[in-house]
Amino acid sequence: MHWIVEFVVKHRSSCSFLVTIVLSLWMISGPPEFQARASRFLTLTVFYPFQVTFNNLTHIRNIFSENRHLRQEVARLNTEVSRLLELKSENERLRGLLDLSQDFTYELLPVRVVARDPSIENKSVIINAGYKDGVRMWMPLVGEKGVVGKVIQVMNGLSLVQLIKDPSNRISILSSRSRTVSILETENGRSFFFRCRNHEDVQIGDTIITSGLGGIYPKGLRVGQVDRITDSQNPLFKRVWVELSVDFDRIEDLFVLLLSPQWQSFREELDSLEMQR
Amino acid sequence: MLKKFLKWAGLFFLAFILQTTLAPAISIYGIKPDLLMLVLFILAIKTGMMPAIYVGFFLGLAQDLYSPSILGQNALSKTIAGFFAGLFNEKLVRIDPIFQAVLLLLMFLLNDLVFLVVQMVKTGGSMQVITMQVLTATLPRSFYSLLLGMAPFLWENYVQAAVKR
Repeated sequence: MHWIVEFVVKHRSSCSFLVTIVLSLWMISGPPEFQARASRFLTLTVFYPFQVTFNNLTHIRNIFSENRHLRQEVARLNTEVSRLLELKSENERLRGLLDLSQDFTYELLPVRVVARDPSIENKSVIINAGYKDGVRMWMPLVGEKGVVGKVIQVMNGLSLVQLIKDPSNRISILSSRSRTVSILETENGRSFFFRCRNHEDVQIGDTIITSGLGGIYPKGLRVGQVDRITDSQNPLFKRVWVELSVDFDRIEDLFVLLLSPQWQSFREELDSLEMQR
Repeated sequence: MLKKFLKWAGLFFLAFILQTTLAPAISIYGIKPDLLMLVLFILAIKTGMMPAIYVGFFLGLAQDLYSPSILGQNALSKTIAGFFAGLFNEKLVRIDPIFQAVLLLLMFLLNDLVFLVVQMVKTGGSMQVITMQVLTATLPRSFYSLLLGMAPFLWENYVQAAVKR
């Protein structure tokens, strides 16, 4: 026995080579089932620490590429989210308009704001419909939340709309609860009010609608609601401040009410009389 | 002893990382340098036959386990390659860089030949396939690895020697 150990120690390199060669040949010559079993055994025992290290290394490598990929994905999704938010907002706006169009019995023409008055007052906008679309002078425009203004100039494919926030654009209004009729005014295009007698029953929160008396806006279009009531310079009157329903900084999709002014027929009558004369 | 072991273990670990990360990046027409074989060659000529045999055997076995090949095929080829390179341990034989390059090339050829012969025996390939494999894969890989592997030898034998002079 002693001489065997001595021989192995003396020729340890050759013995190592022989052992590893035999082991390799033994593994090679085994049937596939044996190879699979041996592989599983070696993977779970001898090579387990290496496998863990390798897996961690691969994992780290994957984390870098995954991180890069995720960054690209985040950028793409951010763009997508922005686009979808825009679509959602447009959808909500159009839904509001659709509801509005179902409420009205008038013929409505959907239009889009294509330009705004560049001045600070922002008193007018241009819409993408004109004479060829059936738009005529003085036709009123409404948004999803209420009355917006009236057409004051018509071109072939575009029209100029005077907003109700223009101080020169006064509309006849009505308090829907107390039926008080007055004229909506503004001095600066930001604060709106109407004057009414002191005894009139107007309260904060009352809804203000168009009265239909001006001849341009039909009756019942929402204008806003009473915000506060203050004294007027004239002691017989009080000043009722109205918060408009429409946010004029955010108008995009509108409807033109295809209506002729109520005084149109009178005007035509007068014109024909003048012609006869 | 432990220090030496840790040094070689670290070198193999580094080679392993580079083989899995850098080698695919620097491959030319799909030919990748075999950095693990290079480290095995360095180990063999620096430390001798026995460490090279065992390291070759376990390296090959690991490759067998992590690649779809016949179990023991890589273990056998790398054991023989390690044994062959270990014969030229620099403590016993003085070899110049040119001879080292030839040895490295022979080691690659031996490794691939053993591998392919085992494959031929087990799966019934032909000599023609082996020849084609040697010409299209073994030789380009060997030369590419040689190019990378000779850099430290050239640095040590020429540049550092020139600096010393």
